[in-house]
Amino acid sequence: MSPPGRAGVASVTDDLRAFLATATGRDELLRIPPGTALFGTEVGLDSLTGTLLLREIQRRFGVDVAGEDLNLDSLATLGTLAAFVAQRAHP
Amino acid sequence: MPPGSTVPPCETAAPGTARISRNAVPSGDTIDVWWFDTRTVAVTPAGLAGLDRGERSRAEAFLFPADRHRYQVAHVLLRQVLASYAGTAPARLPLDREPCPRCGAAGKPVLRPRSGARPVPSFSLAHSGDTVVIAVAGHPVGVDVERDADRCVCSLAGALHPADTAWVTGLDGERERHRAIIACWVRAEAVLKCTGQGIGHGLGGFPVRPGQSPALSGNGCMVRRLAAPPGYRAAVALAGSGDVAEVCARKWP
Repeated sequence: MSPPGRAGVASVTDDLRAFLATATGRDELLRIPPGTALFGTEVGLDSLTGTLLLREIQRRFGVDVAGEDLNLDSLATLGTLAAFVAQRAHP
Repeated sequence: MPPGSTVPPCETAAPGTARISRNAVPSGDTIDVWWFDTRTVAVTPAGLAGLDRGERSRAEAFLFPADRHRYQVAHVLLRQVLASYAGTAPARLPLDREPCPRCGAAGKPVLRPRSGARPVPSFSLAHSGDTVVIAVAGHPVGVDVERDADRCVCSLAGALHPADTAWVTGLDGERERHRAIIACWVRAEAVLKCTGQGIGHGLGGFPVRPGQSPALSGNGCMVRRLAAPPGYRAAVALAGSGDVAEVCARKWP
């Protein structure tokens, strides 16, 4: 059996990858590892895509990332964002 | 000239050619705008040698070669364009970052004036997909470009100023709304890049929708739509009030 929350994080991670690939039209984003930095470097998402992503997370998982994580530490990588969302999700 | 009208390209030497000359820093409320298609530009070892350590390590950090290429092209071209105004070698440009006026974090890239040297221009760089745009002016300027929406972007409407959100959501037709959202987005982002305020503080603090009195919108900046390549939407903002006097569009190659 997976540790509690583990399956949730994996499935949120997949959801976020799929959303990013569709939003940007870049299929390679389906393969990015959890340690990937989403903003600034590595895949270089722009602010418009970032905003779309956060709005989609709010719609799909009921989590207001910008409102609940004032330092936005959760946005460091795909994995930290997925963990943050999985922990608080109430879809 | 009405906002958004197409401006004929100005006569200047293109960067990367043997005849890079001295471009004069635009005077008054005039803006030079340089467009590039990253698919048609090769990065040369000489161009890459002009990048500083920060730019090189940032380029190295990209996961995908296509992103690295776009970043390198944008920054090599930025240095070449700026060098043509500053009259210095691309590697020797006095680039620095200004603190964000809201939080003090390192933000807007600027050229530092040097005593006795020629006046340095203000500039702004934006890229989206394969398109790079560089705006150059005599005082603070901001530019943004985004791809036209090919899927629903209605969730972005809530990030805009409430008056712009109301305008956008009141428009008839989904396509019309999506276009208007992206149009407002590029205008707002151009304003933030002009004032140097980080986008992390939000872009809904001031209205930017087209057709408003300049005195009521733009957060102290003149905002104007830019004629962009097909499939893209762009805007430019210049510090001050009134209207941008002229946009000089330059294309390369």
